[in-house]
Amino acid sequence: MITVNSLGNKLKNSIYFREILISAIIIALLLFLFIRSGLPIILTIFIEFAVFAIITMSLNLEVGYTGISQFGRVAAVIVGAFAVGSIPGRLMAMLMGLPYGVEYASDTVNFTVVPQINELLVNSWLLSLGFLLMCVILAGVFGAAIGWLISRPAIRLKEAYLGISLLAFGDFFMWVGHNWKGLVGGSVPVYVPDPFRIFAVDRFTVIVLFIFVVAFLVYLYLNKLTKSPFGRNLRMVRDNDVSAAAAGINVVRVRTQSLVIGSALAAIAGGLYVIYTGTVAAIGFTRLTFTFWPWAFMMLGGIGSNIGMLLGVFLLTILRTMIVIFRSQWFGFLLNVGIDPLWLEFTLMGAVIIIVILFLPHGLVPERVEPMLSANRVRKIMARRQ
Amino acid sequence: MAPWMSSGLIYASGLALTAGSVTLLYIVTRTFNFAVASLATIGFYVTYTGVALFGGLPYQYYPAVVIVGAILGAICYYGLNKHLLRRQAAEITLMMSTLGYDLVLLSFIQMYADFLTHSYRLFPRRVTMNIYDFELFGEKAAVIILPIIAVVFLTGLHIFLKKTKFGVAMRATIENPVLAGASGINSDRIYLVSWIISGGMAALGGSFMAMAMTGTPVMGMYAIPLMFAGAILGGLGSLYGGILGGFVIGMTEYAGVFALSQRFGPWVLGYRMGIPLLLMVITLLVFPRGLAGIPLFKLLGSLVGKKRGASA
Amino acid sequence: MLKVKNLNSGYGKLQVLYDLNIQVPDKGLTVVVGPNGAGKTTLLCSIMGIARVFSGEVLFEGSSIVGELTHNLAKKGISYVPQMGNVFAELTVMDNLHMAGYMLSKEEAKDKAAQMTEIFPVLKKFIHRKAGTLSGGERRMLAIAMGLMKNPKLMLLDELSTDLAPIIAERVMMEVSRMRDELGITILMVEQMAKRALEIGDTAYLLVSGEVRYTGKADDLLHEPELCSMYLGIKPVTGKEENFGLSVPEEGSEDS
Repeated sequence: MITVNSLGNKLKNSIYFREILISAIIIALLLFLFIRSGLPIILTIFIEFAVFAIITMSLNLEVGYTGISQFGRVAAVIVGAFAVGSIPGRLMAMLMGLPYGVEYASDTVNFTVVPQINELLVNSWLLSLGFLLMCVILAGVFGAAIGWLISRPAIRLKEAYLGISLLAFGDFFMWVGHNWKGLVGGSVPVYVPDPFRIFAVDRFTVIVLFIFVVAFLVYLYLNKLTKSPFGRNLRMVRDNDVSAAAAGINVVRVRTQSLVIGSALAAIAGGLYVIYTGTVAAIGFTRLTFTFWPWAFMMLGGIGSNIGMLLGVFLLTILRTMIVIFRSQWFGFLLNVGIDPLWLEFTLMGAVIIIVILFLPHGLVPERVEPMLSANRVRKIMARRQ
Repeated sequence: MAPWMSSGLIYASGLALTAGSVTLLYIVTRTFNFAVASLATIGFYVTYTGVALFGGLPYQYYPAVVIVGAILGAICYYGLNKHLLRRQAAEITLMMSTLGYDLVLLSFIQMYADFLTHSYRLFPRRVTMNIYDFELFGEKAAVIILPIIAVVFLTGLHIFLKKTKFGVAMRATIENPVLAGASGINSDRIYLVSWIISGGMAALGGSFMAMAMTGTPVMGMYAIPLMFAGAILGGLGSLYGGILGGFVIGMTEYAGVFALSQRFGPWVLGYRMGIPLLLMVITLLVFPRGLAGIPLFKLLGSLVGKKRGASA
Repeated sequence: MLKVKNLNSGYGKLQVLYDLNIQVPDKGLTVVVGPNGAGKTTLLCSIMGIARVFSGEVLFEGSSIVGELTHNLAKKGISYVPQMGNVFAELTVMDNLHMAGYMLSKEEAKDKAAQMTEIFPVLKKFIHRKAGTLSGGERRMLAIAMGLMKNPKLMLLDELSTDLAPIIAERVMMEVSRMRDELGITILMVEQMAKRALEIGDTAYLLVSGEVRYTGKADDLLHEPELCSMYLGIKPVTGKEENFGLSVPEEGSEDS
């Protein structure tokens, strides 16, 4: 008993107490879901988690570390999705001698072309892998390009002006995708060739694993980045751009870099998401799902903390999924008057944002000011000097 | 009147009110209000519920629209904004808090739409409000009545701000909250009143817009970039700038789409949102502080008071 | 009238004042002087509920006013004239006066405004002009008039003389001492024009880095050579030995 108590105290005093507590809650909820509903649900949660974790972390880089009021996250996600939806398939079609121009995106042609491409991909490991890599790289490159493009006019603006301009850009991209039939089919979704078809029955599991690994790599990369001198520059610009400029930091360049990196990552997430769903429907990339949800995740997790992002996304994704699964069991009273309990997802998100702002202004895991180098590293460097 | 012009006039009056609502709240409380989206939609649903269940004209429900909007604004102030203003929260936090409120309202709107479908066999998810309108001088009555209502509403607001003691106190608080507090003006009450006014304005604006576009539960969500664009175009500095900005944005959308579709064909219709947004972005590039950056509008802006901290 | 006991206060997490003790006697002119950044303005802001009070007490007429909202303090009879932004630039002079007398009834406010224009005739000329168009000195007069509008028991004046021409600053100072003598108002004044303020003041506090370094009669502080030269930039009045006295102020010796 005593040991349990002392262990409890040790935990409580640990600086990671909050993280451990939240992880315990997450694991408990996952176990509960696993027992009640089985593995597929868990996999869906994992995949949603991984995609939104990348998007939210990229948002955190721009909002939490650089202080850009990014209300147009959806723009980069869309560009990634469009890049994956329109270019690799066309390239394959061109190599195979199939129609690859504007007509590629029309539903009748697309319907026959994509299965032929899939046919080819299923038979070759190398081709599948190459195709997947091409998708990721294309999404990243286009995302970076769009981040740079957006940053040009936007970087001169401040706070609300900047936020609203970015919001407008995001909506604009969605409408372009929805109306330009030659790109990704407009209102009729186009199919995306599936590089994971080779795994047959295990396709779903492998995709989950793959996106999960990508999310983890992004986490490691951002952790490294935000602790590097560049990360310090970002925070200086965020806290006070005038004094940062006075300290010799090129504020515009730092902001641009942050937007470019963030957009590239978000675009990769968008690309992976459409590979997972297999189709690109422009109208599905709404401001609500790909800008406001990540904002809610970020605020819950704690702006400016990467581990907080992961926990925030995980917790809310589980809660969202639980509303979907248990809607008829728990919310039958709503169904009785004809109300779809799915709308509770909106209530949940809104309430989370409000509660976090009022009672948890720094989120679940507040930003920690950490030294750039650990004490050990410093000691080693000092020793080397002597 | 050409159809694009009459619809445009109705739509632009609605946008002017909503953009004015955003601007008013911003200059008084520094809060960039996302909730105008849902407030506008709620304004539409109040009129729709009225005409669908009780009959009559949409116009006779406008007092109810303003009252509902005002109550929802007051709730947001008491529940949320007040505490954050006390805490001197950052602008972005204030903005996000209204987004949370907006999402909650949006979920209630969706549920209400479900409820109407289920209980009254209505089709509230795609509504054309102008079938409830009547003809006046060979035009849809809305074309004549709505701009008049808007002008009356705004004139009333102007007189309120200019002539009444409370209105002057409001302008004083906008300009210098510390001194206003030290003079014994209760800033809480000023903020509350501005929330009430802007809530009512947003709801009224939404019910206007529904006379020109299809009313849906996400209509406000769809139009919110335009409302913001109007406020931004007006420079966020003066109420009249915001109203004008909203009007310009609304008219540009209809006129621009009409002109371009005549020239390039109907495919332009799909990009109608892009035209006013493009206008906003271009204006911001030339005048980073919106129309208020143009000397003429600066003059207009000084009528109501500048953004806080702008004066010495 | 006003007692500040062991006050610790500041903005956000930043503490500016440390264990401050100040007493403002009835119908007296209390002067707080000190170098830049000593926390003089913060003291007034703490009293008015604008800055954040961490601990300590502020007693006004015997009851604690910590945590009261600013406008309630105004109702209790404390009027505060800030250093910057002490008039509403976008409102007319008349509206400014009426706003300052916001708690008064309409007739009272009218009477009081008429009274103010008599005390400060300069305001009468510009009564319908926007306050933003007034000159620095006129603005300061308007600010004082606004402070007087609500029949205050206690007036807090924040650096009235800053960036005014010396001759106008002098007139503002005269106005302040007249207010004490003729209207019998208790005044707590924060000043950078230390010498002049100490000459007209009754009690003085020297505030340095958020702590009180000197408490006593205002005249006596002028006779503290070390404090004066170190913190106030005043050539000390050596008084008895050389017998220069208060009547011979040295030109250009004031800190600004």
